[in-house]
Formats: sequence, C-alpha cells, structure tokens
Amino acid sequence: MMRLNRSKNALTLTALAATVAMVATVVPAQASTDKVGVTSNLIKLGISQPTDGPASAGYNKVAPAMKAYFDYINANGGVNGRKIELKIENDGYLVQNAVNKSISLVDDGIFAFVGSLGTANNLNVATALDLKNTKIPSLFVNTGYSGFAVKKDHPSIFSLFPSYYMETKIIGEYIKKNFPNKKVGIIYQADDFGDDGLAGLKQAGITLVKEVPYASLSQADPRSGPAWITQLNSAGVEVAIMFGVTSATAAALGAAARARYAPQWILGSVGSDVTTLNTLGITNNILNGAITGSFLPATTDTADSYIKLFRDVNTQYNPGVAFDSNVLAGMNTALVTAAAIKAAGPNLTRSGLIRTIETKGKSFLSASLTPPTYSTTSHAGYAGFWLGTFNSSGVLVPETGKYKVYTTDSAKGKVVASTYKRPAVSGKGLFK
Amino acid sequence: MHSTHRRRLILFIIVGAVLFYFSSRVGILRLYQGSTVSMYVIAIGSIILLTGYSGQISLGNGAFMAIGAYVAVLSQLYLNLPFFLTFFVAVLGAALAGLVLGIAAARLTGPYLAGATLALAVALPSIANLFPALGGEQGLGYDSGNAPALFGEVARFKWLFWISSLAALITCLILQNILKSRYGRVWKSIRSNSVAAELTGVNAPRSKVLAFILSAGIAGLAGAVLTMSLGTVSPSAFPLSLSFALITGAVIAGISSLLPGSLVGAVVLVGMSQLVGTLTTRFEIGDVLAQNLKELIVSALLILAVVFTPNGPGEKIREMRDHRRHHSHGGHR
Amino acid sequence: MEKLISASLIGLSQGAIFALMALALVLVFRSTRVVNFAQAGQAMVSTYIGWEVVTRTDNYWIALPAAALAGALLAAIIETFLMRPLAKRASHGAIAPVASIIASLGVLGVLHSGAAMIWTTEQKLFQSPVSVNGIEIGSTVYPFSQADMLIISTVIIVMLIFAFFFQRTSLGLSLRAAAFQPEISRLAGVRVDRVRTIGWALSGAAGAIVGVLVTPGSYLSPFSLDILLVYGFVAAVIGGLESPQGAALGGLILGMSLSFTSIYVSSGLTFIVPFVVLLLILIVKPKGIFGGGNSRNA
Repeated sequence: MMRLNRSKNALTLTALAATVAMVATVVPAQASTDKVGVTSNLIKLGISQPTDGPASAGYNKVAPAMKAYFDYINANGGVNGRKIELKIENDGYLVQNAVNKSISLVDDGIFAFVGSLGTANNLNVATALDLKNTKIPSLFVNTGYSGFAVKKDHPSIFSLFPSYYMETKIIGEYIKKNFPNKKVGIIYQADDFGDDGLAGLKQAGITLVKEVPYASLSQADPRSGPAWITQLNSAGVEVAIMFGVTSATAAALGAAARARYAPQWILGSVGSDVTTLNTLGITNNILNGAITGSFLPATTDTADSYIKLFRDVNTQYNPGVAFDSNVLAGMNTALVTAAAIKAAGPNLTRSGLIRTIETKGKSFLSASLTPPTYSTTSHAGYAGFWLGTFNSSGVLVPETGKYKVYTTDSAKGKVVASTYKRPAVSGKGLFK
Repeated sequence: MHSTHRRRLILFIIVGAVLFYFSSRVGILRLYQGSTVSMYVIAIGSIILLTGYSGQISLGNGAFMAIGAYVAVLSQLYLNLPFFLTFFVAVLGAALAGLVLGIAAARLTGPYLAGATLALAVALPSIANLFPALGGEQGLGYDSGNAPALFGEVARFKWLFWISSLAALITCLILQNILKSRYGRVWKSIRSNSVAAELTGVNAPRSKVLAFILSAGIAGLAGAVLTMSLGTVSPSAFPLSLSFALITGAVIAGISSLLPGSLVGAVVLVGMSQLVGTLTTRFEIGDVLAQNLKELIVSALLILAVVFTPNGPGEKIREMRDHRRHHSHGGHR
Repeated sequence: MEKLISASLIGLSQGAIFALMALALVLVFRSTRVVNFAQAGQAMVSTYIGWEVVTRTDNYWIALPAAALAGALLAAIIETFLMRPLAKRASHGAIAPVASIIASLGVLGVLHSGAAMIWTTEQKLFQSPVSVNGIEIGSTVYPFSQADMLIISTVIIVMLIFAFFFQRTSLGLSLRAAAFQPEISRLAGVRVDRVRTIGWALSGAAGAIVGVLVTPGSYLSPFSLDILLVYGFVAAVIGGLESPQGAALGGLILGMSLSFTSIYVSSGLTFIVPFVVLLLILIVKPKGIFGGGNSRNA
C-alpha cells in the first residue's frame, strides 16, 4: 500500500512537471501597449468566429471575405504603407473557446480585434480581457446588440450594425403605414436578441396578437416549425414577423409554406440571407413576397459601385465563394476598418485609432446606405434600414424602386427618412 | 494514516509554491490556460468521484457547473456576499441540486441515470432565458475582486490563475482524503457488488446519493471558477459538449485516478486545440481537414484510451507488473 | 378544435420519429447492454450515403434501402471491431459499467468530424418522394402531409417487422435469448457474438431510416440528427429501454408533450419538456414504463 502511494506521488509530480514546462514559456515584457501589433510595414488584426460547428453556417464566410478585402488592399500597397494581416481564430461559436482564442490573439500581439462574432461571445471576451481598462480596440463587432454602442460600458468596442431595437422600430413604423388594422404576430428567439426586437416593436406602438418564442440554442430544431405556425395561424395573424436566426427562419417559412399559411412575412435581417435560406431548403418561390430590411445595398445590385467593387474583389481574392450578404458584410467591415486605419494617420496607436473613429467615423467610406453615427459620446454604428420585398428570383427589391432609408436610435427617438447622400466609392476602395 | 495525510499536504504546498513562482514568469495566455486546466481538474474530479468510485454515470455535470456558477454570481449580486464566500455558496447550491436529483437518481441505474442527467444538461441552459433575473443570453457579471494589498498590484490573469489553482489544489487535497477514507472504500464495494455491500450493512442508496451530492457540489465549484475566468455567467458557457468533454477528460488517464488522472485529462482538453493548431500550420493541412482534426483526434484518443487502457495507464502498468510477477513466480515453481 | 387536431397531428408525426430512434437505441441496448450515443452519428453517415444515392439516381426509393443497408453495415463494423473487444477488455474495474457509453461518445465524435471532412458542414437537401404540403379538410389546412403519413406508416411497418422477427423467427428468438441469458444461450448452441452483431445491424438500419425520413422536411448536416438522439434516448428511457413497445409509447408521449406544451403553453420550453417528462416518469417508474423488475438491481 505504501509503495503504491509513493509511486502515485511520483506520477503526480511528473505530471505537474510537465504542466509547469508547458506553462513556462517566458514571454518578453512589453513596454507600452498602445503600439502593440504595429510595425513600419504591418498591422496585425484578429477575429474570433466559428469556422466549424452547428452555428457556423453562413457566418463562416464573413472572416474569409474580410481577409480577401485586406488581401486586395495589401496587393495594392496597403494602408499608409502598412499591410494588414488578419489572424482568423475558430471559436465554434462557444463562449469558452471565444475567450480562449481571443486571449491567444492578444498573446500573439494583435493590434485590435475586428468583426468578432456574437453577443455573448463578445461580452465574455470584454470582461475576461478587461477591455474596459486594457483599451484593446474591438472594432465593428458582428452583432446588433445595442449595449456595445454604450461608450461608458465598452470604451474600446465599436458596434457597426444597426441594433435589433432600431430594426424592429423601423419595421413597426412600416407596418403602421402599410398594414394598418392587420393582425400582427411574431416568432422570436427567446433571448436578448429576440427580446430587443420585441421591445422595438412595442416602442413603435405595435400590438401583437400572438408572440411565439422559440428556445435559443446554437441552432433551432427545424422540426419545431409546424408548432410555431399553428400558433400564428390559429390566432389569425395576417402580418407575421420572423425575428430569429437563419435556421429558425427557414423552419418557420418552410412549415408555413407546407401548411399553405401565407401571411405577409416580415423577416429580421439576421435570418434573411437568401443564399443561406436557399441552402436550408427555402426556395425563392417560398420567399417571394417576404419583406426584410438591410442597411447595405442588395447583393444583387451590380449597378451599385460598392457592390460592383466587392464582387470583383470576391472573384479575384475569394475564388469559388458565392457573393452573398455574409460576404458583403465582411467586405464592408474590412473597408470601414481600412478607412479608420487610414484616418488615424501614419503614427498608429490604439488610443489614436479609437479617438479617430469617434471624431471622424461619420465620414468614413462605407457601403452602408446610412452613415455611421460614431461620436465622442456614442459608439453606435449605422442607425438605419431600408426595406424591400423579395421577388420570385430571390432578389430583394426596395419598396419604391430606390433605396428609401429610415433612421432612428436605440431609445425613444423617432423614425425618420434619411437624407444621407452616400458618396460613390472613391480610389477603388484603397487607402494608400 | 496520519503521516500520509501530512505528506499529501506538504506535497500540495510544494506544488502551490511552484505554481506561484511560475505565475510571474509567463504570459496571459499561459495564465489563462493554467486557470482553465485548474477548472477542468476540479470538474473532472467530480466525475472521477461519481463514476470512478461510486459507479454512477452523469452526462450532466456541465449542468451542475452552471448551477454553481449562477448561484455564485447571484449570491454576489443580490446578497452582496464577499467574493470568496460565493465559492462556498456555489458548492452548496450545486450540492443541493445534486441532492434533489440524487434522491431520484439513487433509484436509477446506469442508463436511466445517464438519460436523466443528459436531459438536465440539455434543459438547463435554456432556463436562464426564461427568468429575467438570470440575465438572459448576456448573462450577469461576476466581480472577482483584486489581490490583497500585500501582494502589490497583481495583473488580472495572474490573480485568476492564483485563485483557480488554489481552488484546484484544495479540491484535490480534500477529494484525495475523501476517496481514501471509509467512504471511498464503501463506494468501491457498492460499485463492484451492491448486494454484497448491503449484506455487510452498507446503506447503498444513501451512499450513492452522497456521492452524487458531493460530485454535484464539486462541479458547482468548477462552474464558479469557470465563470470567474470568463467574468460573466451566461447560458452559452454550458453547452452539452462541456459535459461530454468532462467525461473525455476523466477517461483518458483513468476514470478512478484523481491524480495525476484529472490533471492529465485537463491538460489534454486545454492543450489539444493548440497542438492541432500548430500541427495544421506546420504541415499546411487543408481547411476542411484542419477544422475537424481536433475533434477527430480527441475522439479517437477517447476510443483508444477506453479500449487499450480502460482503467487508465496507471492501472495498466500495475496490471502488467502483477502479471509479470505472477509469471516469474510460477517459473520458480 | 383545429388547434387541438393540429397539435395532435404534429405530436403524432414527431412522436413517430422519436419512437423509431428510440427503437434503434433499444435494439442495441437489449442485445448488448450498450447505450449507443453514436446512433445519431451512424444515422447521419447513413443518411449521407442516402443523399449520395439520391443525387445520383434521383430516386428516393433506392436511397432509403441503400441508407438502411449502409447503416446496418456501419453498425455491424462498430460492434465487431470496437464494442465486442471492448466488452472483453473493459470488463472489470471502475470503467466496466460506463466503458461502452464512453466509447460510443468517441465514435460519435469520430463520425461527426469524419463526415464534416468528407461532406463539409454545408447543409445538404433532398426532396421527399411524396407531397410535403398540409392536408386540406374542409377549408382548413392541417400541418400534416403525405410526407408525415409516409413517416408514420414507415415507422409502424418497421416496428411490425421487428415485432414479428423477435416473436416468430428463430433468429429473433435467439437474439432475445442471447440478450437475457448469454451464457445459457451459448451453451444451448446460439452463436451469441453473431446474434449480437445482428442486433446492432438492425438498429443501424432503423437509425438510417430515421435520417432518410426526416431529412426531406429539414436538411442534412453532420450535426442535424444530434437533437433526435437526445429525444430518442429520452423516449427510450421513458419506455424502459428494453421494450420495443416501450420505445413506441415513449416516443409518442414525448412527441405529444412537446407539441402540446409548445402550442398551448410556450414554444420556448422545447428543451425543458423532455427533462420534466422524463423525471416525472422515472420518479414513478425508475426503470421506465415497460422496464419493470426490481429497481435496485444493478
């Protein structure tokens, strides 16, 4: 018995020694953190997002699209003479991995995060890495959670997409104008994402005759669709809002089509990417007539100078990948990032970049049809949407033929028609 | 017996001192990975106690981690408990949940218990979205405070590493003592033959519930440690895959080996992703292959471990030694 | 009234799927005492084989038996080369009661990652051979289609075939004997190993049929059948894990509970319902509805 114990202790010590050896790679001390990740000819950026796993569908096209745009810029001289390197980490959309991979990126010496995906992931990364005090910039996070726009809570995080709350406020105004006296119902994700959307509708003064929550997991069970549809149908809903992820949107639209239940569908932008919906079995025929919003031009609008540029870049630097709204979003995020880095000038620092976005962000080159609204007090990005209707070939057609953009805020502000005249893309989208 | 206790204590103090020394010489990634290893050591310890000793299987210890984590955060938020106390409350809260399920579980055998705990692990995360007080998907913040002034200014990750490794060391010390005590022997006897054990006067169902409660409590502590390093408690931190990972970690180095078993398992869980990352860049493995390589290797390792060293390498070595001794003995005769 | 009928129909068609998945788990459990978590993975890989057949031949009716065959083969391979040696190697020590569950989790992981490497994680689709549109009665369309009827009737046929096989054929009887009294069966001349492999193969075929039946209503990905494993397992445990009738009843109970709570209470409870239903039933019957026996026996 004694011998056994001793050999066990020896084993324990060996294992511990191995761990210590693993832990004991000494890192060089960093003098100042403000210029980490920047050299005279290179800027290191990092993104944590899902490349694999159940939640990766569609989202896994965003980071490669960003990288493709940076490759395009690098091939044409970089920004202020510096090339942009994007380190892509795969977190499988799991919180614990997102934190681990983000710490690993910081340990790798990145200058800033850009476009990291997911509300919970970004929130956990923010607390785990103490972004509030370390002031490592996390640019243009890929989520519509309005909390990231609050500078007081997240001084180094910039949101880019309009918030879920703004989106449903605008949808609410649209319903009041176009479908008065119709019975409105909603299917929404039973978490903060869906709750934000629900709150926006209520702020717009919409009365919902039926609210159907669905349990959020990384992916909705496609077989739940019939139960949701039965609830909307039996409540006599005529205008049905679907505010959830793409897999849930597909489940709802598919089940409705099969039950020949045809309300006026209004889809949240998160779940309305036509390419992904097609791959989930929702044909253009089913989608025909559904309304959804976007803050970027339609992916099919080749007359738009930005879309044309992005499509060309996609063909050359992201070969074999279909140009969809995920690719578009990724390219646009990269474009705005490059614009911000350019504006921050040759002496690039983390604090300088944050200050530049706050003060000059409003005028950054961007494909969005509403301008970013950054200021020294707010880190809210775009603040508006245009709404359109899918036609029978899956093209999103703006309501009046032209993009009619409405803007609002994440509070009690009114929904107003935008007067913004977006400049055409200049200098081929390059920032030498 | 007394001297083994003391020797164990001294060993743990030495290990603690070594870890303390190294905590000042490594970067934030290693510190964070160190905290994660400590968290896994605790969580895997809860499986080793339950499965390796009392012979019950839980596919839902991730759910008990979630309960511990939420209890810790809520007790800080609503009762203003000091940070260190929240750890104890986490253990108590998860143990209480373990008691409730354990009473039912005592009547459940193997696969039925596996089913109940699996269903729990699936159900629990979605509960957080039903009650606004639980903070929904955004979760609730957990303030891990700062190191006492006598240590000077301690960076966040170092502080977290200290707490997690201290928690892991204390857990291992206590667990080791419990497993070597009368309870450990009782559990083992029930596991090998519950009828025989009952004949010797052991209350088998009660001992099983006790193991379940303890295991849940320890998992709760792991949950609090995990939440501390994340800084936030939210439902998405406790997916079903977490419960499966714990089982993998517990099996790889022997389901009844607390030390070094849980440590080896934890290092494998934490280190594998980095190892695979290095491999894929080194050998320029294509994207589709690379993305799925980690799961493939971990799963294959799990299968190989359970087939070739079912009770862990330690047991295997012992078996082979016994075998050889037996043989040479026979040869003499 | 329409709502009530809809809820029942949805519950029935979902329940049929859960029942067949549960049956697959029961077949393995009663022949080898293994709770096979790899079932979801095996079904998924077999369904990919079905998908390959459908995309090449454009014929669902060839794909269904092809997938079932692939499922049977895959299961037989796993049983012969992994589970059988495992049962001998891990027969003692702490690992013994849990070794097979753990190995099956490993197999699940290998199948997940392997399938993702071969077919990527992008969703694959194939069409149902019959209409997926709801049936119209009077002026109401119910959420119940020919495809749902196909699911239910296939499940019933498969269950009847299995019942006949176990009750009436000598192979089926030896299968039952091997499961309950392996030593005695061996003495009586039953080739226990072969009989067990057949039990696995049947289960693999049943799982594959589940995959090919449900995919047309949704899509196929390496993970798309995982949640069905959870529901199927819960249904099997409700029914008692050893009884095919139990699997059918368990599936039906779970399907109905999910459908009715979803429609009448809240569809946000999808993941909580299985736990609550399972716990309630296990509190009353610790070995499930058809489990019987002394609950304290290991």
